[in-house]
Amino acid sequence: MVELIFKRFTLNQRIQHILFFTSFILLAYTGFPLKFPESWWSSWMIASVGGFDNRTLIHHLSGLVMIGVSVYHVVYHILEKPRYDVLFNLKDIDDFKQQMKYFLRYSDEHPKYGRYTFKQKVEYFGAGFGAVVMGFSGLLMWQPFEAMKYFPIGLIQIAGLFHTWEAVLASIAVFIGHFYDEHFDKFLNMSWWTGNIPEEEMKHEHPLEYEEAMKNRPTGNMEHLEHKENNILITGFGKIVFTLIFIAICSWLVWMSYTILYEAIVNYIL
Amino acid sequence: MGGIITDRDNKWYQIFNIRKLTLIFIFLLLLSINNSIAAEQSGTGDISCYHCHSRLVSDFQKSVHFDKNTCADCHGGDLNISGSLVSINVMHANFTGKPTAVNIADFCAKCHPGSSGVYEESIHWQKLKEDRPAASCTDCHGIHNILSSKDPNSSTFPQNIAETCAKCHENQTRMQALYYGIKTDRFDTYKKSYHYKSYKSGGGVIATCSDCHENHDTRIASDPKSAINPANLITTCGKKGCHEGAGNVFLSGGKIHEEQSVYLLSFDAKRIVTIFYIIMILFELTFTFGLIFLGITSKFDIKRRH
Ligand code: HEC
Ligand code: HEC
Ligand code: HEC
Ligand code: HEC
Ligand code: HEC
Ligand code: HEC
Repeated sequence: MVELIFKRFTLNQRIQHILFFTSFILLAYTGFPLKFPESWWSSWMIASVGGFDNRTLIHHLSGLVMIGVSVYHVVYHILEKPRYDVLFNLKDIDDFKQQMKYFLRYSDEHPKYGRYTFKQKVEYFGAGFGAVVMGFSGLLMWQPFEAMKYFPIGLIQIAGLFHTWEAVLASIAVFIGHFYDEHFDKFLNMSWWTGNIPEEEMKHEHPLEYEEAMKNRPTGNMEHLEHKENNILITGFGKIVFTLIFIAICSWLVWMSYTILYEAIVNYIL
Repeated sequence: MGGIITDRDNKWYQIFNIRKLTLIFIFLLLLSINNSIAAEQSGTGDISCYHCHSRLVSDFQKSVHFDKNTCADCHGGDLNISGSLVSINVMHANFTGKPTAVNIADFCAKCHPGSSGVYEESIHWQKLKEDRPAASCTDCHGIHNILSSKDPNSSTFPQNIAETCAKCHENQTRMQALYYGIKTDRFDTYKKSYHYKSYKSGGGVIATCSDCHENHDTRIASDPKSAINPANLITTCGKKGCHEGAGNVFLSGGKIHEEQSVYLLSFDAKRIVTIFYIIMILFELTFTFGLIFLGITSKFDIKRRH
């Protein structure tokens, strides 16, 4: 079957995404065990990267990669090729309302999304905010005594506070929210690797963008390509594996947020 | 926070004491039945006290002092009356019972004048003389099981020091008896630091209580000679192998345990950050799981699949 294939991500964007998520996963993997040193999984995770010093090294290097990608992204996308469709607008509020109505059975009409849904926009700016917070606080904590030449020690302790909270916040957003929407719900979504999405998905997820693209045909950003249907067995098996991993990561994150929320509420509110 | 852990600690401390006493009692009872067998097996029959206090004696045998001190040095008594059922007598000839904490320091001073010279400047020693429950040599080093601090089983091995100090400094009943309410959250707060976390996870960087407070020259922060006096913090942190070359850094206030407060227009910045993130995370959890849940449930509705 020949189907239209739409280009969603350029090679440049895909490389940025791969660098960003690899460093993100490594950072989370080497960071959380330090926050909860007494948990059973902590020593296990640290041992799996070859000891504490490796953990620190990996954490620092991945941090640098993430800072590098973020800076590059800002320079490239804001200065070189600004995009305005990723900014929030009033339609997002309508979309959200419509989505909730649809979910709660008040309406049978699914909202029509453009290139980015409101959730994707929230995630995008969340990631941006997170990268800034994690980058700056991480640098302060990396060399506390250098930092203390310019800032009081209290500020470095605040950086630590930010670093933990934002790490949990970002991990929930990425490992639960983003992972579910983009990689689980749309299983097996390979657009992060190929950069392409099939017509079916384009129509389904981004109807407005689809209409726009079809209007501008053939100058629109599309290619004719062979689209292979995924083998149902492989998809089914993949989904089971994904579900298990997803549940494990969810419980881990929920446990961690419960722990730090409990402590914070006891200390600061009660 | 502090309350939760220390309460348990307290209870544990008490239970442990009662347990220990009962155990010793049962132990003594059992041993009085077959003490002669035990003595033969261990080959320490020459120590008359072994018949009844075998656990302590075997601890002592493993300690650094096994060939340097004898039981009689601290307790008096006659070691030459050999073990038999009537060896209760050994505890009679000039037996002095338990030495007091102050006596112990004097005793150790005989052979370790350096350490005790320094120790006798410390707050622990000064308060000990005022009959407060402060630390004597044996509180930190152990009584009968003194080991080199390079031995991982030693109570003064770097990784065990925090627990050694916490025995007293996290013990609310012991500390509350003091008039000015010395803080009992020191171990809890230390646990939040990178120093603790890294050593707990097997990291090489270890700064533990005695590195910052000095093992023997422990002083109250307001003492100008104290290692934790704000004026001396740069030297303390800049010890060899630690933060060497910590120059003119901004350690203002120098709080390590209690986090330094930073104020933004009379609001505590830490409080603001924490409350901000509590709200954010609660909101995020609801939002994320809520949408996933709604998304899944709306999928079961075949008619509505768009
Ligand atoms: C026949 C058994 C026996 C022998 C041998 C023995 N003890 Fe004891 N010892 C006891 C008992 C029983 C107690 C517990 C008495 C009590 O709690 O009042 C005790 C208690 C003690 C105490 C604690 C005293 C106190 O004030 O609470 C010390 C110290 C002590 N022994 C030292 C020694 C030393 C040193 C030797 C060897 C020179 C020795 N004992 C030999 C049976 C013995
Ligand atoms: C460095 C001095 C020192 C030496 C040497 C020493 N003890 Fe003790 N011992 C003490 C002190 C101090 C205490 C008091 C502990 C306390 O207050 O709980 C004590 C307590 C005891 C007790 C009472 C146990 C208890 O838990 O209440 C016994 C029994 C005892 N010692 C036996 C011995 C025997 C047997 C030896 C020889 C192997 C010995 N001690 C050597 C200092 C010493
Ligand atoms: C009779 C003299 C003598 C007395 C009394 C004495 N010690 Fe010692 N102590 C020694 C000797 C000797 C060593 C061995 C030093 C070495 O091996 O380098 C030693 C070793 C030690 C060590 C281990 C040092 C190391 O570098 O391995 C500690 C800790 C210690 N003593 C603490 C104490 C305490 C606490 C007391 C009081 C309860 C005490 N000592 C009483 C003689 C004594
Ligand atoms: C035997 C119990 C005990 C042990 C063990 C102990 N301490 Fe203490 N310490 C005390 C007591 C009691 C005081 C309070 C004395 C007073 O002011 O009355 C004190 C006071 C202090 C002070 C001065 C604080 C103040 O406000 O007066 C510091 C600092 C300190 N200890 C550090 C340590 C460190 C570090 C360790 C472990 C290496 C340690 N202590 C082990 C009982 C202990
Ligand atoms: C507050 C707890 C504390 C008290 C009280 C204390 N020490 Fe120590 N002591 C330590 C610690 C901790 C070390 C190990 C320091 C290190 O690792 O360099 C140490 C080290 C030593 C050493 C060096 C040997 C070694 O193991 O490295 C000697 C000897 C010693 N102490 C003797 C004494 C004597 C004697 C007294 C009493 C006068 C005493 N200590 C009181 C905590 C204490
Ligand atoms: C990184 C260095 C460091 C470590 C590790 C550390 N402390 Fe402290 N401690 C300090 C400083 C600095 C102060 C004074 C400022 C403050 O209260 O935070 C202090 C204050 C204290 C006080 C109150 C002293 C006073 O005069 O008010 C006690 C008691 C104490 N520490 C005990 C401990 C115990 C017990 C441990 C181990 C569990 C420990 N500390 C570990 C640096 C340290």
